[in-house]
Amino acid sequence: MKLSDYEPIIGRGAIEDLRSLASKLSGKVIQNVNSTFTGGGVAEILSRMVPLLSELGVDARWSVIKGDLAFFNVTKKLHNALHGSDEKISVQDISAFQETSRKNIKELELFGDIMFIHDPQPVALIERKKELGKEWVWRCHVDVSRPNETAWDFIKPWVMQYDAAVFSAPSFSTPLPMRQFLISPSIDPLSDKNRELSQDIIDSVLSKYGIPNDKPLIVQVSRFDYLKDPVGVIQAFKQVRRSIDCRLVLAGGTATDDPESGKVLAEVQDKAEGDRDIHVLLIPPGSDIEINALQRAATVVVQKSLKEGFGLTVSEALWKGKPVVASAVGGIPLQVKNKFTGLLSHGIEGTAYAIKQLLGNPEYGRWLGENGREHVKQNFLITRHVKDYMVLFLTLGHSEEVLYL
Amino acid sequence: MWPDVVIPLAVFAAGLIATIWLRRVAYNALERWAKKTKWQGDEILLQATRAPSILWCLILSSALALTVSPVPQHWKNWANKGLWTLLVISLALSAVNLVGKLVSLYAERLKATQRTIAISKNIANAVIYIVAILILLGIWGAPTTAIIFLIVLAAVVVLVAFRETLPNFLAGIQLNARGQFKVGDYIKLDTGEEGYIKEMNLTDTLIESPNESTTLLPNRKLIQATVTNYGHLMKKAKEPFRFFNRVHLTELTGLKAKNLKELADVLQNAPDSIIYYHTHHFLEEHHYLTPEPANDFAVWVSDALGDDVFGEKLANIDAFEFPTLSALRERIVNVIGEYISLEPELRRAPSGREFYFMKSVSVVMSTHYVARDLREFVEALRKLSLGSLYFHIFESRLRLGKPTNDFSVWLENSMGEPELAQEIARFDPYSYTLEGTRSQLMQLIEKHIK
Repeated sequence: MKLSDYEPIIGRGAIEDLRSLASKLSGKVIQNVNSTFTGGGVAEILSRMVPLLSELGVDARWSVIKGDLAFFNVTKKLHNALHGSDEKISVQDISAFQETSRKNIKELELFGDIMFIHDPQPVALIERKKELGKEWVWRCHVDVSRPNETAWDFIKPWVMQYDAAVFSAPSFSTPLPMRQFLISPSIDPLSDKNRELSQDIIDSVLSKYGIPNDKPLIVQVSRFDYLKDPVGVIQAFKQVRRSIDCRLVLAGGTATDDPESGKVLAEVQDKAEGDRDIHVLLIPPGSDIEINALQRAATVVVQKSLKEGFGLTVSEALWKGKPVVASAVGGIPLQVKNKFTGLLSHGIEGTAYAIKQLLGNPEYGRWLGENGREHVKQNFLITRHVKDYMVLFLTLGHSEEVLYL
Repeated sequence: MWPDVVIPLAVFAAGLIATIWLRRVAYNALERWAKKTKWQGDEILLQATRAPSILWCLILSSALALTVSPVPQHWKNWANKGLWTLLVISLALSAVNLVGKLVSLYAERLKATQRTIAISKNIANAVIYIVAILILLGIWGAPTTAIIFLIVLAAVVVLVAFRETLPNFLAGIQLNARGQFKVGDYIKLDTGEEGYIKEMNLTDTLIESPNESTTLLPNRKLIQATVTNYGHLMKKAKEPFRFFNRVHLTELTGLKAKNLKELADVLQNAPDSIIYYHTHHFLEEHHYLTPEPANDFAVWVSDALGDDVFGEKLANIDAFEFPTLSALRERIVNVIGEYISLEPELRRAPSGREFYFMKSVSVVMSTHYVARDLREFVEALRKLSLGSLYFHIFESRLRLGKPTNDFSVWLENSMGEPELAQEIARFDPYSYTLEGTRSQLMQLIEKHIK
């Protein structure tokens, strides 16, 4: 995608802002470091972000660390533990992490004026700060609001050496000695998952999955995971259907690294058994257009998570102008301002009540949907993400709260 | 024999007397008409033809005398051709004189450059001489088809070569005839260009925009576009207003509160920037919403603590009433303190919905918008980014500690418009969205300009 492709969406002024900021970064090299070029959310963001920064004239580069299977098994455990799961991190795990980190510290070419280190895998690269100087930023994409203490204590000595840290939601931050910034993740309005679709494509996807377009459609798009509470969504749906005839679509995939997901799917299918109004769809990976079509076909989109990282599926639904009912967890309250850009709920009853409000008052739903789309346009598109990164780079090394450039 | 000489001489004398008398009558009438009209062209017409018209009387009288003369027919033919030749040459010279003076007259009005004037005169002269030569060739019986073909060819070549300039030239004449614009007017085209007219000539118009750039508009564009003329040059400011733009980044503090007591405790000692962020960021973040959400404290108390009554009380604290952030902080802390003293059981936010204290880092950059008078100011205001408007209205007053917003300071100190400055200072931007604020400010200034 080119920067000019975004102009019809965000306007000329916003593009001019990006260009002005980029011009102030002239001569600086930004070196992003993470653990992989492909797969995973960070690689996806960087694969879109780095070309946009380059088009703006910012010298942004992208390097990856090397690691063997043992190292990535440890980082996977570390990732889960930082999210709060009860992972056991053994002495062998620690030494595997340290050994690979030492190799990377020695071998990886570090040339940036600003070292932008993503997530815990390459966190130990900070050990070269004394030798190289430069500005070092740790970009934490993980929800570390309630981390497993062992895991957090393990990486904290490295984290504390950085000049700044960046988190995705306010609740992810924790008292640290350096400056911390809030930069929310973003969606790309031009990607297959979010671009405009014709009614023909939407109809063909509904027809493919055998969903009649005869009643209001309630949709939750999430992988089958207890934390997304698909069973709770079915219970809320059944409460709604007592007074309003409607359909439910639960669409998602199962994660290969999550042994529980098959069990969750089976449980959801069991609960939906025999109910012709509930459609449980196992969507294969890479079906972005289908996900897009299902969200666009929805009357109301639900995200009834019990715990959530940032929950970008909410921004995806809001971007499509859909009224959203979502739990007030993780980064969702940033996206859904209750009664302004959607409705927040706290349980099954609250979710059912909110859905009924929206189905019974389509005008209200439309108003929330329009506000939601505008909210995403202002705050959760990739162009805002690029802008925030540039402001961050410009802010480094300055302690003032108002910086004149 | 003597009648052969006397009669033609008598006819010549009578003809001369009659034509001279007719010439005098005609010129007297023309002079009276010229005095009544404002058009300067009639004076030029009289001046350019006054002397040659005597020659034309002589030629006419000679032609009359020749008709009654007994000289052989072939002599008469030669003499007639001679007279016609003289008439054509004299008419051509008069036409050159007349057109030259008319071009100078219009060029002066259009403030055309010397080069444009010279080119215009040369083109007109060439056309007159070519027409005269063709007529003379016709009189003397020379073949003219090939010459006409060459002339048409040359004309086509010239038209092709000047295909861009010619329409602008014609548009320049049209603009001048309409008298719609003059140097010093502030104009705005529907195609986006705007500014003060600095120069107008036969082909182009130079305008200076509020961003200090100059644009050379082809006159054809001015004719084709919808143009709003705001009129005369306005009173200039002592110092121009330079608009800045602001982008910001949210900084996390790692501090949080789960109930009102913790909220008040942190606020009591928090830096001003935290108070500023939580009482202002929604103005920019949710600028598209009507009504906008209230300050963060009020929203949190309503949504996370579920206390709509107290949330409403906090929402009603109007940042506009407070001259400093310290005063605003004191009021918020006092309102919370009073509430806590009456409520022994404090509500607690659910896990994950605590109040997270934040502040913002602003990056301020210059823009290309500059205003040297009220017209330029209002036109820049129309196009500014909302970040820029926010910076000059909100950030300058409470965060940068100025007595009022930047616009009022400039209007009073540089523009010498204290009334307008006061009116804008009294305007409460917290009651409007940013777009609403923009529209209200523009209305106030437009009203003042009128």
